[in-house]
Amino acid sequence: MSTMGLLVLLGTLALATVAGLVLRARDGRVRAARGAAGPAGGWALAGHDPGEHDQVLLLQVSSPVCAPCRQTATLLTDLASRTPALVHVEVDAAEHPQVAGELGIMRTPTVVAFDRSGAELLRVSGVPRLRELESALAPALGA
Amino acid sequence: MSAPDIPPPPAGVPARAAEPPVDPRGVRFNAALTTVVLALVLLSGSGWLVAAQAVVFALGAFAGLRFAPYGVLFRALVAPRLGPPSTSEEAAPVRFSQTVGFVFAVVAAAGYLTGLTTLGLIATAFALAAAFLNAAFGFCLGCEMYALIVRFRSRFGPGNQHTRQGATA
Repeated sequence: MSTMGLLVLLGTLALATVAGLVLRARDGRVRAARGAAGPAGGWALAGHDPGEHDQVLLLQVSSPVCAPCRQTATLLTDLASRTPALVHVEVDAAEHPQVAGELGIMRTPTVVAFDRSGAELLRVSGVPRLRELESALAPALGA
Repeated sequence: MSAPDIPPPPAGVPARAAEPPVDPRGVRFNAALTTVVLALVLLSGSGWLVAAQAVVFALGAFAGLRFAPYGVLFRALVAPRLGPPSTSEEAAPVRFSQTVGFVFAVVAAAGYLTGLTTLGLIATAFALAAAFLNAAFGFCLGCEMYALIVRFRSRFGPGNQHTRQGATA
């Protein structure tokens, strides 16, 4: 038996446990804006011009190999359909790596919210906790 | 069961062909068994054991999940005792994670078998961390990091934004 192997095994399991607990605690939580959308703002990144009544953009960065991305898309499509001033756009990180790069995104799904001027409001990685997201967006939606 | 032959896709690119959804409990079982095997690799320092695990990864990643050995074991031994699954999970992300595992296992086997033991240890540790996170927490690390991998590739790879179409399911 390899002593070094045993140490690496224990160390890896300990680190992975910490990483798992941190990931789980952060998953779906609303986090502060990082404000990295560039001069053009979120609407330009999404390739979507805000309509007359559009107040908030939810830009979802997804990958084709991601089960929680599908759940998030379903959740946000539904939210946008019952929130008139809210627009949901999903982009694929594989097709638009520059979007993920510009926003500094490491994980999929990550949802970044922008106000009408294109400035970042907040972001969420993992499947968003709906109530938390809704109440965080309420001021920007004028609700 | 006869299954159509799917040609193996290039490394790192999951097959485009739609596979039937899989039982999430099978995915966790697969990850748990992988965790145990990789832990044994670290303890024994056996290059052949991690090479065998690389073959296990390769079958799931390239031939299809229905050929993944641990999945076969799950369907034969575990699933019948559990009853029908209440949810299902898409196959593409799982297959992608097997591809990532395959890459690490191959590097680990090459390390151990050529005497680069440190390389073997490190590569096995990465694969173990990913398998453990999946088994214990349900996180698919390979899938979550996909955006990062793509960013890295687009920045440093040879202008290949449009040559990776196969990666877009």
